[in-house]
Amino acid sequence: MAGTGVKRRWVKIKAKAGQLDWCLIGFAIIGGMLVLLPLLALLNITLGQLADIPFLIEVATQKQVVDSILLTFFAGLVAVIILLIFGTPLSYVLARTQSHGNQIVESLIDLPLVLPHTVAGLMVYILFMQRGMIGAPLKSMGIVFEDAFWGIVIAMLFVAMPFYVNTVREGFQKVPVHLENVARTLGATRFKAFCLIVLPSSVRHIFNGCILAWGRAIGEFAAVIMIAYYPMVISTLIYYRFTTGGIKESSAVAFVMIVACFVVFLILRSVTRYLGRNDDRV
Amino acid sequence: MIEFDRVSIALGDFLLDDVSLSIRNGDYYCIMGPSGAGKTIILEAIAGLLVPDSGRILHDGYDVRDIPPEKRRIGLVYQDYSLFPHMTVEKNIAFGMRMRRLPKPEIGKQVQHLMKQFEITHLAQRAPLTLSGGEQQRVAIARALAIDPELLLLDEPLSALDPVTRARFIDILRSLHRDHGLTIIHVTHDRRDAASLGTRLAMIIDGRLVQEDRVETIFSSPCREQVARFIGYENILKGTVVSCEDGLCIVDIGKNRVSVIADAKKGDSVSLCIKADDITVLLSDGKKTSARNTLEGIIVRKQVSGSLATITVDIGVEVTAVVTGKSAEELALDNGTPVCISFKATAVHVIHEA
Repeated sequence: MAGTGVKRRWVKIKAKAGQLDWCLIGFAIIGGMLVLLPLLALLNITLGQLADIPFLIEVATQKQVVDSILLTFFAGLVAVIILLIFGTPLSYVLARTQSHGNQIVESLIDLPLVLPHTVAGLMVYILFMQRGMIGAPLKSMGIVFEDAFWGIVIAMLFVAMPFYVNTVREGFQKVPVHLENVARTLGATRFKAFCLIVLPSSVRHIFNGCILAWGRAIGEFAAVIMIAYYPMVISTLIYYRFTTGGIKESSAVAFVMIVACFVVFLILRSVTRYLGRNDDRV
Repeated sequence: MIEFDRVSIALGDFLLDDVSLSIRNGDYYCIMGPSGAGKTIILEAIAGLLVPDSGRILHDGYDVRDIPPEKRRIGLVYQDYSLFPHMTVEKNIAFGMRMRRLPKPEIGKQVQHLMKQFEITHLAQRAPLTLSGGEQQRVAIARALAIDPELLLLDEPLSALDPVTRARFIDILRSLHRDHGLTIIHVTHDRRDAASLGTRLAMIIDGRLVQEDRVETIFSSPCREQVARFIGYENILKGTVVSCEDGLCIVDIGKNRVSVIADAKKGDSVSLCIKADDITVLLSDGKKTSARNTLEGIIVRKQVSGSLATITVDIGVEVTAVVTGKSAEELALDNGTPVCISFKATAVHVIHEA
């Protein structure tokens, strides 16, 4: 009797194994190896920091560290707001027109993606330094970029631009032109149709564009230090602590930044789940 | 009245070429043609969404080139219904009135009236993407009518509907046209829609207006082979008139000669258009018939579809006839069976070739 039960169970297990999608499992194993890299790095730094919690708390509460994180987050936010204001109309034009000019504009926007970040930083510096084409006239108005908050913002804006514009343009392209056409026949001007139909229909892509751009902005180092070493953004501070205080001090600052970013992105991604879902009852 | 005066519009590689037509107030005007013929472009030009590269579009005699779509009072319903996905059904219907800044109580009243008229009151708070095709369509029509349009433009609105919903919707459209006197322009590639709803019909093929007339006239007298095929003439036989007497002409179609009623003269090249259901199939030893044309051939194909069978007979050229499945069975009509086909001279529509 017992032997029959075992046999039945074995047949069931064999049947279940036959139903498994081995292709998907294989892909998951291969892909999982890639995930191992950041996971191991994260575990490594976490275990190192948790071994000396008092030191971690001391670093995390240092005014310079807190100020630097807040500065980084805020400068990134300002860059994203500028992208929202200028990048959104640009993305719409690129989504709704087809000309050779578009290819040139799209290539220009994608430039920071392929350039070494030091080159991007140098380009920004030459343009916005006190003797630069834009920096000089703005200096006379009291706006300075070198070693200043606006220098950080401009460097972040430059490198984050393709992430925002490309994501939002894709979102606009997914909104059928028919929706705008119908809105216009119903009495909406082109601008109103954009504001009332296209924008709400693309809210998910706009939000994703903001997250990607913000993430890229706060992670920038090379482009930022070329124009504004001071005030120190978090990546500059980590580099500074690494060169002056060694691995222990710099990795403590880095760990604080990792935790802060993880919390912020977790919140932002949770919001994304509920944005722009039109297939449920409104 | 809408008039197209030699309108041309280029869109990429496509050209709507030199189209002139007129749509009178109260018409149910169908625009028919194959996919990609330029039908939707005509609708969008009427709505003001596309501006002609040359020619004029006149609305009651005035050139409307500079009037933007939002000022035209034209309702538009696309094939995909294009409901605003982020708004409820109620808000979709109210959108046009909101844009026209009508007072809120009036908007609410009108929305309720339209939802009641189209039996969608229970869907008021639903998101469009949760609705069925038929429900979406009723919402789209209600939204278009909410602005009290002078003209309703429909872009293949019946093509995605099941037969029951389709029949119901045809009744709604008929009622809108007959009872409310609304001028409707309906783009379709389905001849059934045009036949059951239209008063006038324009045939557009490859960006050109090929024929425009009353629906019955086009269906009985297509002016070109392409039009004839599109409106349901399955058989188009090329031939040459060999004699003509008192309107009864004999046309040589290769292996056979066919009698037709036509205004033609000897030597004219003509296309003979015959509907499959105007052709009778007889066994070779069948009874005599009053029809002028009885031609011998062999069945080369038989396709049964429901209660009907489509029989293709080789008489030198291939000719298609439709018989009931029962007849096909009783007469043992199968591939290789020698048969005669028979049709009246009056069943043949003759098109003179250019």
